[in-house]
Amino acid sequence: MKNIDDPQKLQKEILKITYLISLLPIISSLLFGEYDITLGFVFGLVIATLLLRLKYNNIIRALSMEEDSAEKFIRNRYFIEYALYFVVLFSAAKNANLNFLAAAVGLFMIKFVVILMSIVDLLKDTFQRKFDEYK
Amino acid sequence: MVEFSPEVIDTVIRASALLGAGFAMIAGIGPGIGQGYAAGKAVESVARDPEARGNIITTMLLGQAVAESTGIYSLVIAIVLIFTI
Repeated sequence: MKNIDDPQKLQKEILKITYLISLLPIISSLLFGEYDITLGFVFGLVIATLLLRLKYNNIIRALSMEEDSAEKFIRNRYFIEYALYFVVLFSAAKNANLNFLAAAVGLFMIKFVVILMSIVDLLKDTFQRKFDEYK
Repeated sequence: MVEFSPEVIDTVIRASALLGAGFAMIAGIGPGIGQGYAAGKAVESVARDPEARGNIITTMLLGQAVAESTGIYSLVIAIVLIFTI
């Protein structure tokens, strides 16, 4: 992950790993017949993907601004995204066909994957350093 | 010892849950301020070194994606407090 300088490639990589990991809860909830969990999880995941894309567009727009206006712009956009998160979680809580916790986990999946990839990079670095010292 | 009726106890619990939800929402403000600050510094960095633009966008995207999780945690807690208690 740390070698990816192209943000588009990075997004694709993150989304690829996220969808691969997400297959496990989706398939297992389908197998156990818990369709509300599947729907909630997919709902959260789709919204998280779209919000990541929105965040990227906002960052690109912010980088062409002055420092102060970029700061205000990103702050305002964060609160708009926060309102969108609220709408998603509110509709998951109100709708009986969507599992609230599954929707919340679906929203968090991308963030979990980013943290997971960072941990994997850190472990790789650590083991590589130990290996080089040993040699 | 003073004894309260079940209605009073329910009302107190409900009021406390709503108060807790309100307090939990305070955590949503921090990531907004932090993300804005990071964006301002990123603009400054791109102006200083335009060749590092891709690297800066990548780092900022990852940082902002992870930074807002604490805000969403608080939102989840607030919604759980509002709708389940």
